[in-house]
Amino acid sequence: MTDGIKRRDFLKVLGVTGASATLTGCSEPERLLPYVVAPEEITPGVATWYTTVCGGCSAQCGMWVRTREGRAVKVEGNPNHPVSRGGLCSKGHATLQHLYNPDRFHGPMIREGDRLRQGTWDEAEQLLAAQITATGNVMFIGGRMGPSMSNLVDEFVAAVNGTRIEYDAVSDAPLREAARITYGATGLPSYDIANARLLLSFGNDFIETGSSPVAHNKGLAQMSAVDAAGSKGRFVYLGPRLSTTGLNADEWYPIRPGSEAAVALGMAAVIADDAGAAGPYADVLRAYSPAVAAQAAGVSEDSIRELAERFASESPTLAMGPGVGGHHRNATAANIAVMILNHVAGNVGRTVHYDAAVSAATGAYAEMESAVSAMAAGQVGVAIVHGANPAYSMPAASGFVEAFSQAAFKVSFASAMDETAALADLILPDRHFLEAWGDSMPRSDVVALQQPVMQPVPHFDSKSAGDVLLATSVHLGNDFGATTFYDFMRNGHMEMHDDSVGDFETSWRLALRTGAVEHDMGTTAAPSQLQAPDVALSFDAPALDLGGDLTLLVHPSPRFGGGEFSNSPWLQELPDPVSKITWHSWLEMNGTTAEERGIREGDIVRVTSPHGEVEVPVWIYPGIREDAVALAMGGGHTNMGRWANGSGVNALALLPSESEQPSGAMLTLATSVTVTPTGERRRIATIEGSSDQHDRPIAPAVALADLGHVEEAEHDEGHAEFQELQGVGGFVPVPSEGGAATAFPLEGSRHGPYAESHDLPRWAMAIDLDKCTGCSACVTACQAENNVPWVGEEQVMMGRDMNWVRIERYIEHMDATQAGDLDVRMLPMICQHCANAPCEPVCPVFATYHTPEGVNAQIYNRCVGTRYCANNCPYKVRVFNWYRYMDDVPEPMNWQWNPDVTIRTNGVMEKCSFCMQRIRDVENRAALEDGRAINDGEIVPACEQSCPAEAIVFGNIRDENSRVSQVVSSERTYRVLDELLNTQPAVHYLRKVTFHEIASGGHD
Amino acid sequence: MKKRWLIGGLAGVFALAGLAFVQGGGGEGGEGAEGAVETGQPIAFPHNQHAGSEPGQNNMDCQFCHFSAERSVAAGIPSVASCWGCHVAIPGTNHPEEVAKIQGYLERDEPIPWVRIYKISDHAHFPHMRHVNAGLECQECHGEIQEMEVLTKPDEWWTPAKELFFGQDPVWGGDNMGWCVECHRRPDENGEQQASTDCAVCHY
Repeated sequence: MTDGIKRRDFLKVLGVTGASATLTGCSEPERLLPYVVAPEEITPGVATWYTTVCGGCSAQCGMWVRTREGRAVKVEGNPNHPVSRGGLCSKGHATLQHLYNPDRFHGPMIREGDRLRQGTWDEAEQLLAAQITATGNVMFIGGRMGPSMSNLVDEFVAAVNGTRIEYDAVSDAPLREAARITYGATGLPSYDIANARLLLSFGNDFIETGSSPVAHNKGLAQMSAVDAAGSKGRFVYLGPRLSTTGLNADEWYPIRPGSEAAVALGMAAVIADDAGAAGPYADVLRAYSPAVAAQAAGVSEDSIRELAERFASESPTLAMGPGVGGHHRNATAANIAVMILNHVAGNVGRTVHYDAAVSAATGAYAEMESAVSAMAAGQVGVAIVHGANPAYSMPAASGFVEAFSQAAFKVSFASAMDETAALADLILPDRHFLEAWGDSMPRSDVVALQQPVMQPVPHFDSKSAGDVLLATSVHLGNDFGATTFYDFMRNGHMEMHDDSVGDFETSWRLALRTGAVEHDMGTTAAPSQLQAPDVALSFDAPALDLGGDLTLLVHPSPRFGGGEFSNSPWLQELPDPVSKITWHSWLEMNGTTAEERGIREGDIVRVTSPHGEVEVPVWIYPGIREDAVALAMGGGHTNMGRWANGSGVNALALLPSESEQPSGAMLTLATSVTVTPTGERRRIATIEGSSDQHDRPIAPAVALADLGHVEEAEHDEGHAEFQELQGVGGFVPVPSEGGAATAFPLEGSRHGPYAESHDLPRWAMAIDLDKCTGCSACVTACQAENNVPWVGEEQVMMGRDMNWVRIERYIEHMDATQAGDLDVRMLPMICQHCANAPCEPVCPVFATYHTPEGVNAQIYNRCVGTRYCANNCPYKVRVFNWYRYMDDVPEPMNWQWNPDVTIRTNGVMEKCSFCMQRIRDVENRAALEDGRAINDGEIVPACEQSCPAEAIVFGNIRDENSRVSQVVSSERTYRVLDELLNTQPAVHYLRKVTFHEIASGGHD
Repeated sequence: MKKRWLIGGLAGVFALAGLAFVQGGGGEGGEGAEGAVETGQPIAFPHNQHAGSEPGQNNMDCQFCHFSAERSVAAGIPSVASCWGCHVAIPGTNHPEEVAKIQGYLERDEPIPWVRIYKISDHAHFPHMRHVNAGLECQECHGEIQEMEVLTKPDEWWTPAKELFFGQDPVWGGDNMGWCVECHRRPDENGEQQASTDCAVCHY
C-alpha cells in the first residue's frame, strides 16, 4: 500500500462525515416572542397608522406613517394636509432611512482628549449646565424648527443671556427680504400655481426646493392639465440651466445668470401702462427697457417683448423669482424685480399672496458670518449647534471650522455624526422626528402637529432636544413651566387655543388625527401698494469673482438638498432627475463647449475658482448655457456616515464665503471657474440608456391644437387593426352582452389555466405624462414599500441597478442658445404587466405568469435565475439579484423592511408587482367586511400614493365606472411600443400635450 | 483495508438511519415537563389542559389566547400578562413549578421565549383571518391541539413512507405547499374550486 491517502479512501471518509454532519440537526431554533403586556393599539400583522408632519426639510409636508408591531415601515403623504395635500417627495421617503440609520449615535457622547466616549443623559445635561454656568457666552446656532421648539430655544437662550442664530444651509432669505421690502410682508409669499395661465420661473426650482416642493409640484400638474374649455396653462423657464423644474417647461429662455432682474423689469416696462403702476420703482422701469434686458440676458428683444405681452394678457399669470440655485450678489433685487412684474400684471392677491406668512428656511448666512467672527475672536464660550451642519454647509473659505474650534465648549444635537459634531465636545443626539413631539406652522393659518409614531429606536439612546434643554434648565435653576417638551408644547397650544371653537382636548386630538388645523389667525391686510425700498438696491447683473471663462452654477441637489440627506443609500442610488447619475458628483457642461475644448463625457476635470478647486467627471448636458457649468450640492462629505462619505465632491469648496445684501443669504452664484482636463476618465454611474427615442413610439406627445382629432394627425402605417384600441383604451373589444363578456378566453388570459375566471377584476394603471414632472418621488416610494435593495456604485456602473421604477427622460427639443420651445418627455417606466408578455413564455419554471386579474406575477421562490425573462422584456424593467444584497443591510436598517413583502435572495428576478401586497390587503379587508366589493380607488400602489402631481391612477379596468377606465378613454391614451410589439400592456400612458406642433402623427 | 471499508460503511448506514429517524419526528417526547424541555420550550405549557374538553380540562377557545387569528394575517400568541391574568390566582395542580415561571418573566419584564412550532416560509404569505372567516377550524391545519400535551414540530417533509414505516398520520406538514393546494383545490358544494390556486394569492 502506498503512502498518502488514496482517492477511494478520501471519498469514503467524505461520505461518512457528510452523513454524520446532518445528525447534529439545526442550530438555535426560531423563537416566538410575545409582548409582556400587549399594547391595545397594536394587532400583530395589522398596520397602525399615525398622522404626523415630515421633518425632512422646511416644507413640513403632512405625513402618514404606517407602523407594524410598533415599527415605522413606510411614510406617505397626508392628503388632508392643507398645504401639501397629499404626496411626498423622495427626501421625505428617505427620512425613514435616517430613522434606522446605523450611523446614529448610541447615546450622549463626551469628548475626552481626541476620543468621544459614551455617557449618560444625566451626566451630559449636568456637564452642559456646568459649562454654561462656568463659561457663559452661549451661542445657539439652530436650523429650521417648529414654533414651540423655537419658543423654548428663545426662552432658554434668554435665560442664559446668550445669542441665537438662525441658520439654514438652503435658505430663501432673499425672497423673504424682498417680500418685506416690497410689501412689508412677514414670511414668504404663497403661490397659487394651479390657477395661473402663464407661469414664469426665473430660475426658481420650486419642485425641488422652496417653501413647498410637493404643493408646488401638484400646482404645476394642475396648471398644465387641459381643462374643460380646452385650454392649458403654459410654463416658461428663464434661467441659465434647466433643473428638474426647468425640464417641465414649455419654453426655455436661456438667459444669462444674473440677468433675471433686467428681464423682469424689461417685461414690466412693457406691461405697465404708465410708470405710476410701478409706484416707487417707476424710474427703475424707465431704466430697464426690453432692449437693455435683451442685452443683459443674451436673448432677443422681441422674445422679451412678446413674453411680456403674453404675461399681461393671459391673465391670471404668475412669476416666481430666483431660488437658491441663483443666489448671486443682487438676489434680493432680482426677487424684487419679479415682484414688481407680478404687481404691474395684476397678479397680487390672485396667484401670489403676501398675507399668508409662509414659513420656510430663511435663515441668513450673514448672521453665521458674524458668528464665525465672534467665535474666532474668542467671544463665544458655549457654542450649541442644532439642526445644522455648518462645518460642511459653509464654504471652507468661511473659516467656520477654525473659528468653531476656538469656542470654549462646543455642543451638537446631531443625531448622527456629521462634520460639525465631529468637532464637538459634547454630543446630545436628538430624536428623529418620527420619535418625537413637535409642531409646525407652514402658513399663518395652518398649525400642524408632529407626533411620535413609535418608541425611540432602542439601539440609540436619544433624547428630544426640547427635553434636554428643559432638563438642563432645571440644573441652571430656570423653570419654563414644564418638565418635558410635550408639556411645554401643549401649554403653548393651550394658551393659543380659542375656546369658543370647542374644548382644547377635542381640538388637540382632532389635530393629531387629521394632521393640521386651519385656523383664522386674523387676516393681515393684503398689500396693495409697492413700498419704497429702505435699502440700496442694484438690479444689474452682479459681478462674479473671476476664476475663468465659465460661470459656475451651484445648486441644491433634488436628492440631497444642501447635503443633509446624503447618508441615505436610497437617495444615493436614486438617479438624479436631470442627469440620471447615482452616487457620485458630476459637472454639467454644454456639449458644444465640451467639444470646443476637447472634453468628453466621463473626463475628470479640475474645476478651479479663486476660492478652491475640485476634481469631478464631466456630464454633457444640452440644458445649460454654453458659458456656464453646474455642480450640485450634497457631495464630498468627509464625516457623515458610511454612504455619504467619499461620495462626490463638495461644490461649496469653489464658493466664496460671502452673503448677499440685504438678505444675508449665502452666495451660490458668485464666481466663474476654469475647467482643465486632468487626463483621467471614469465611467459614469448612470442608469440612462439614451435621451433620444430613436424614432420609437415610447413617449409620443400631442399638440394642444391637435386634441380632438388625433386620428387625423396619426400616420396610417398599417395601424388600422390597432385603431380600435384607441376607442376602448387599448383592449381589443370583447364580445359582450349586457356588460358581461361572452367570448372567452379574454385577451390576455390565453396564458394560464384561468380562462373561466371572468368575474375577477382586471387591474390596470394609467399614467398621465402631461402631469408627471419627473420628480422621482415614486421611485423612492416603491423602493421603500417593496424592500428593493440598493446595490452600490460599482454595480450601477455594470447596469445592475435594482429600482423597479425608472423615470426615462427624452429630450426632443432643447436649445441653449436662444429663447424657444422646450420639449422634454418624462416617462415613469415600470413593469407594463403585458397581457401578451414576452417574459412569460420563456420562463422554464413558470416563475412568471399572468394572473387571472391581469397582473404579471413573479414568484420568487420558483425563480432559478435563468434571466431569459429580462432578456425578452422589451421595456427592460426586470431586475436581477446578482448578490444577496439584503445581507449587507446593517441593523437596524432592516427594521424598515415591509413585513408584507418577501425579501428576495440572490439568483431571483424581480420587478414591479402592482403592489400585490396592497391588493391582497384590500381584498382581505373587503372579504372580512361581509365580502363586500372592492371600491374604486381603495387599492393605491405606493407610486400612486406618493405622486405629488397625481399622475398615476390604478384600478379595475373591467369596471367602466372606475377612474382608470375613464382616464384611459381619453384620446391621449397610448401604450408604449404596443403597436410595434403587440405586448398589450396593462399600463397606459396619456400623451404629454405640447403647445408647439408635433411633426408627424403622435410619434415625435 | 476491508475492515476500514466495513466500519466506514456501517457508520454511514447508522448515520443515515439516524437521520431518517430524526426527520421522522424523533420519538414521542417524554411525558409532561420533560417533553417540553426536549423540544426546548421555556415553560412546559400543556395545550390539552387549557383547551381540551376532557373532564378536568379547561375547554378554552383557541382565540382566547391566539386573539388576532380572526382579523390579522398572524394568529398571535398571548402576552405574558395574558397568562398571568388567570395564573395570578391559579397555581396549577400538576406542575406548579412551571406556572411559577410566568411570574418570573413578568417581574423581569421579559417575554417568554417560546420555540416556534408552526411556520411557513417567508416567501409565502398566509392570512389567518381569511381562513378563520371562511369557517375553518384551527385543528384542520394545526391538528388536534386540544389533545396534545407537547407540541412537536410537524413534519417538514411528510411522505407516504412515513405513514408506512412510522405510523404517522398526515398532519399539516410545515412548509408543505401540497397540503394547502389540496384543500384549495377541493370542490365546494357547487362543484367549483373552493379557493383560488393562483400562485400570486400567496406568493408575492
